[in-house]
Amino acid sequence: MANAHAQPPVLVAQGIGHLSRNFLREVGGVFWFIVNTFQETFERIQKGRVPFRATSFFRHTQRAGVDSVPLAGLVSFFLGLTMALLTGYQLQRFGTERLIPGLVAIGFTRELGPLLTGIMLAARIGAAYTAELGTMQVSEEVEAIEAMGIGPLRFLVAPRMLALVLLMPCLSTVSNIAAIFASSLVCKAYFSIAFPYFLDLVKDSLLIRDIITGILKSFLFGLLISAIACYRGLTVKGGAAGVGTATTSSVVTAITAVIGFDTLYNVVYTTFYPI
Amino acid sequence: MTTPTHMVELRDVQMQFEEKKVLDDFSLKVEPRERLVIMGQSGSGKSTILRLILGTLRPNSGTIFFKDSEITRLQRRKLQAVRQHMGMVYQYSALLSSRNVHSNVALPLEELTDKSRDEIDKIVDEKLDLVGMKDSKELLPEELSGGMRKRVALARALVLEPELILLDEPSAGLDPVIASVINELIISLSDTAKVTSITVTHEMDSAFRIGTRMAMLYQGKIIEEAEAEKFKQSKNPVVAQFLSGSTEGPILEGSLDAITKK
Repeated sequence: MANAHAQPPVLVAQGIGHLSRNFLREVGGVFWFIVNTFQETFERIQKGRVPFRATSFFRHTQRAGVDSVPLAGLVSFFLGLTMALLTGYQLQRFGTERLIPGLVAIGFTRELGPLLTGIMLAARIGAAYTAELGTMQVSEEVEAIEAMGIGPLRFLVAPRMLALVLLMPCLSTVSNIAAIFASSLVCKAYFSIAFPYFLDLVKDSLLIRDIITGILKSFLFGLLISAIACYRGLTVKGGAAGVGTATTSSVVTAITAVIGFDTLYNVVYTTFYPI
Repeated sequence: MTTPTHMVELRDVQMQFEEKKVLDDFSLKVEPRERLVIMGQSGSGKSTILRLILGTLRPNSGTIFFKDSEITRLQRRKLQAVRQHMGMVYQYSALLSSRNVHSNVALPLEELTDKSRDEIDKIVDEKLDLVGMKDSKELLPEELSGGMRKRVALARALVLEPELILLDEPSAGLDPVIASVINELIISLSDTAKVTSITVTHEMDSAFRIGTRMAMLYQGKIIEEAEAEKFKQSKNPVVAQFLSGSTEGPILEGSLDAITKK
């Protein structure tokens, strides 16, 4: 029992070491999980066969994308409304309320749209993916698929991953439009900015690179969320309780990863392309 | 190292889960068209043997052959190809819960062959008919009883016409009639379709009905291996106790001395 007599600084160092090791192990796990999924999928394509059925892919896009539109739209609408209202009153004091449309448009297109959508989908779809694959894992369904000679990553993970990667930018766009629309209502009602003028102000302030940045982020968030969720699902241990733990962990990890990755992206982006 | 001519061969396999040694220098040979039954206590590592043969588990050491393919060395792509020659029936069936009976059985054909929809439907109907489940093909696994699920799992395992079929407790939890149906099916498969089978069970009736050869797994090793009739008369105290179901004997004591006193 070496730990029993260890000094507090040693214990802290051990704790940090332990956490770092676990963190790196998880990062490595998710990275290789993505690599193996790509590899399995491309091997299948090389054989001249479709990696997964179109019906399977569309079922996932329906669930991850179409069914998430109301949530993404509504949350972004309310947030756009609040953002326009609160910033509007501050800007009005300086007579610059005409900056509201640009502020909301840039804020959402570059940052809040992808981020909010990422957080919402991590909770809504990431949790579902983990629970679903986790249940399949504990009931030996995943092993049965593997035992048949079917690659489980290609069969189970690839359609989910592709659905989320492709649908994230679409949902971010829905989120952006909902927020900009909400702010246009606030601008009209409180700050006497008519819709045509509002649109002109948005067009003047919004750059193509803001849109591209947002879309690029969305693709990456989609990959990150789906990879973390599926990885957690397929590595479940410990029956029903294990599925519960993995689902919670998947949501927490995916949200943290999305926010962390967003920060990293912004730091790198602003370093190389200062505004 | 010589390449075996057997259907399956395990050589000096060591398998350990954390502290627990499940298989200890375990060796086994299975001949083509043989129906081997591996008996042993619950948790003795019987299912682990099947998973090692399938390659879903890797041993700590030792080699495993399926025909002339060394399972323990195969890369993923080749392993997947080899697995298509094996069929596995899991203890709890492991049917995909989101797919109905027909889709479950059709899955290997859809994913691994170039057969047309009509051909797939025909094969699926044929296999479901073989296990007496043709009328239930639209049902979901949750709507089936344990016995029905097991029969569907057997149909799924047979759909690619495997050379080797691995059965994990095929008759556990089934009523005697359905258990007999499954037993007869396994026997007819080796007689007509020349399928080799490895069955893992602790159900005596099924074991002696199915098996052309019996093996007893105890403390990570095969302690007795014989044809069914000889196995019944084994003098090994562990086998004798296991077959009689007596509480008196070396199994509960966990004594190794008894095994060596042959």
